[in-house]
Amino acid sequence: MNRRRVVVTGMGVVACNGTGVEEFWRANVEGRSGIGPIDAFDASDLTSQIGGQVRGFDPGLYMPAETAKRVDRFVHFGLACADMALKASRLDPAAEDPTRIGVIIGSGLGGLLFHEEQIVAAFDRGANRINPMSVPRITPNAVASQIGIRHGFKGPNMVISTACASGAHAIGEAFRKIQHGEADICLTGGVEAPLTRFNFGAYCAMRVLSKNNGDPAGASRPFDLGRDGFVMSEGGAVLVLEEREHALRRGAPVLAEVTGYAANSGAHHMVMPDPEGADAAGVMSAALRDAGISRVDLISAHATSTRANDAAETRAIKAVFGGDAHGIPVSATKSMIGHSIGAAGAIEAVVCVKAIEQDFAPPTINLNQRDPACDLDYVPNQGRSLKVGTVLSNSFGFGNCNVSLIFAKAR
Amino acid sequence: MTNQEIEQKVRDILAAKLGIDVGTIRGDSRLAEDLGVDSFGAVELMFELEEAFGLKIPDSEIEHVRTVNDIVVYLSGWLSKNPGR
Repeated sequence: MNRRRVVVTGMGVVACNGTGVEEFWRANVEGRSGIGPIDAFDASDLTSQIGGQVRGFDPGLYMPAETAKRVDRFVHFGLACADMALKASRLDPAAEDPTRIGVIIGSGLGGLLFHEEQIVAAFDRGANRINPMSVPRITPNAVASQIGIRHGFKGPNMVISTACASGAHAIGEAFRKIQHGEADICLTGGVEAPLTRFNFGAYCAMRVLSKNNGDPAGASRPFDLGRDGFVMSEGGAVLVLEEREHALRRGAPVLAEVTGYAANSGAHHMVMPDPEGADAAGVMSAALRDAGISRVDLISAHATSTRANDAAETRAIKAVFGGDAHGIPVSATKSMIGHSIGAAGAIEAVVCVKAIEQDFAPPTINLNQRDPACDLDYVPNQGRSLKVGTVLSNSFGFGNCNVSLIFAKAR
Repeated sequence: MTNQEIEQKVRDILAAKLGIDVGTIRGDSRLAEDLGVDSFGAVELMFELEEAFGLKIPDSEIEHVRTVNDIVVYLSGWLSKNPGR
């Protein structure tokens, strides 16, 4: 069967270490962390007090004031990223059949900020004082719907919620929708605004967040012996995926091709990864098979900086690539971006596409003393120029939801 | 609060909600036909009025409200019966 090919024609990103693709990419090339002390809410009584806050972000630059006022922060990120991605793709929505344009976005948590505020209000002032906008603001699919409403896209519209794999799942499913002919274009990616007192406190209670409060920029240290948990951040990314012939016909910029996708489950535990990493190895192998390749030039690791994940992922990479594993650079950009839950896989997809476009492997910063259980080439502390024809990107979510994506140089 | 003050406050709330110039909102402006407030928009508007004036508007009243003046008449009636507010 001759499958329809899918290319990336535009991207938008909002992250703690840069808003807009160019600023964000420069930060990743230069190894610049976006992690700092949290001041979005009072974290003074919590074990972790650091995170990746998006600062200086003005939603009004990307949407009408009326819209900005009526949606939650995670939707601000989605609308802003969609706006940037559409501009970059030079897509003229008016010239397209709107029923052939879908929106598939990942979000682990939805409109948590407003949710918390309204729960407090309901208990303080009475449940008959709940804001009538609560449901449409809080529901996780608000982000896909608001993008659809704003641009008039009438194709498949959905949100995928698989914790830390949400953004990658969304991209994979959008890729399939286009491959299978259910859409010609999909705006896809992930968004998250998880820096709220309840949510952050809940992650602290799980003891999965770094407590390295004295050194925020050094706290996210994937594969380092001194790693003590992940650093939560907020943000989002949206990619315009497009059927290749459609993109070529309209003279769109073709940034890269999506060539492989696989998703599976470890069926093991809601929080812990399978220590053998068999499910992670399985999903990587399946994505490679989907792309019809057996080796890649670069791996964008899930690499959260937790003790369990980084060792299991290393084991899984070695299981998949065998002796070749030591020759494949593995970048862990969460060292700079932090972990933005449902947005992470999408933000890292932007990294993958730029790595291909610029033939550059971004660094894993804060890697001073490698964990003996983590013995691959993690591009420590300094990015590296190299030919990047293909990238494998991993995203593993709580509940053992695993996704691997393959991106390749456009040809 | 005089009727004029109530009307001004209602018009300000409407203008902010709809993102339009307050000068275009008149007492006899009809919410649906002239200002484009749909049925869910009316629900939101009632909530904002409740917050601003500190009252609870029963569902039965919402059905009778068609114009800006209808809102002002209802609010001034309520405020005169609840002078403490």
